[in-house]
Amino acid sequence: MSDISAILTELGLAEAWEQRNGSQWIAPKSLDIRRMASALLARGARFITITAMQLPEDGATRLDYHWDMDGELLTFTTKTAEKVLPSIYDLCPAADWIEREIHEYFAVEFQGREYEPLLVREGEPVGVLVPEEDA
Amino acid sequence: MSYRIPMGPYHPALEEPYKLNLICEGERVRDTELRIGFNFRGIEYLAERRNFVQVIALMERVCGICSNVHTLSVCQALERLAGIEPAPRALYIRVIVAELERLHSHVLWAGIAGKVMGFKTMFMTCFLLREKVMEALEIISGNRVNYAMNRVGGVNRDIDNPDSVLAVVDFLEREVNRVIIPVFASNRTLLERCAGVGVLTQEQAKAYGVVGPVARASGVPEDIRRAAPYAAYSEMKFEVPVETSGDVRARLLVRALETLQSCCILRQALKNLPAGDWWGPTEEVEVPEGTGISRVEGPRGEVLYSVTADGENDTPRRVKVRTPTYANMPSIRLMMRGARLADAPLIQASIDPCYSCTDR
Repeated sequence: MSDISAILTELGLAEAWEQRNGSQWIAPKSLDIRRMASALLARGARFITITAMQLPEDGATRLDYHWDMDGELLTFTTKTAEKVLPSIYDLCPAADWIEREIHEYFAVEFQGREYEPLLVREGEPVGVLVPEEDA
Repeated sequence: MSYRIPMGPYHPALEEPYKLNLICEGERVRDTELRIGFNFRGIEYLAERRNFVQVIALMERVCGICSNVHTLSVCQALERLAGIEPAPRALYIRVIVAELERLHSHVLWAGIAGKVMGFKTMFMTCFLLREKVMEALEIISGNRVNYAMNRVGGVNRDIDNPDSVLAVVDFLEREVNRVIIPVFASNRTLLERCAGVGVLTQEQAKAYGVVGPVARASGVPEDIRRAAPYAAYSEMKFEVPVETSGDVRARLLVRALETLQSCCILRQALKNLPAGDWWGPTEEVEVPEGTGISRVEGPRGEVLYSVTADGENDTPRRVKVRTPTYANMPSIRLMMRGARLADAPLIQASIDPCYSCTDR
């Protein structure tokens, strides 16, 4: 737990940290995703996945970045209204498939990378899980 | 001069579809492109249109072999959200079914690996053992696959005769020690076929975030049962087998040794099964607003479920599933680099891939 405290202090996110429902949640007002990824990787954390969902109240997309640090599950949460976020694929190859999947499911654009089709076929439209009225 | 060989989507080694494009120079694979999505069923989308009870049954269909880990994960996520702690007997039963499922998966895979290597006797032997595991699961659940054991707050069936399952565990442990371990650890033909083939280094395994036996065969000692215990695993004594060579042989050996550890856990859980309630809440469970996350060590590695509820509707707002093969499969590209073309089916089979899990 001291490692988590140290890393969150380094990132200036200690205030946004709480433990609930099976994870350590870090939900700051704004999250520097690449800085978070670099700091976690430097301390030996393992990237697990990203959960994305479209929020019905404002149409923004919420992304939860899940990491494992010595058995502790860390979840960093951010929101994007414009559906644009920086990619961490170059820092963390493990994020390749999930960024491609979220691009296909929710039409989120991860800046700084190219896409090949993952679950949809070549040439098919992206955003297959975006509700029709928002597509 | 390089040339491209498409392998799949109907695969020569396994019965599920996915595609590899192998870019070769002579007999050596220079690079590999992976194509998945042939089993895409939109299960996460469907989950948002089912109530919380139906979601459990739906998630049991993510995978045919490791169906129990999916219902266990989704139930744990809902329990965390609703603040429910199952009774000790239910937690022990969950461990028993989870370990039987691991035995089922590992023994089945050992047989498939034997078949891919042309070792048909091993295939037959392993499938005979697998039948015994399925008999044990049938004794407990009434089903050979899709056991429907988990419910929010407990399990759907009790184990009223642990001795009948213990007899199967004794038999399996004896046969694994007699047949599988000696073959995978020291058979000369098998070693020549697998040693040094499809290597994934520890550094690569960490960078790609691989999980389960694939990670442990590359010297990464990750096991959620030990690192973040769930159900009754904190009360079980067991070892986590780790190999460092990162090749196909290491992956074979780690799984074989894990079958013995599963027998060890099963014996403890069956002998110390606590008395008392196993069913859990009899009233409908209220799921409040929020997100519950659960992780389980499936046979192929870590499974993660994130379930979000809005507190108003009886359907989840979002169910996210991260399966182990999804984490492991991209590393095939690294394992294939420089490999002999003839080893390609064995290398990709060595991660024990599940494409229906991966595509969901």
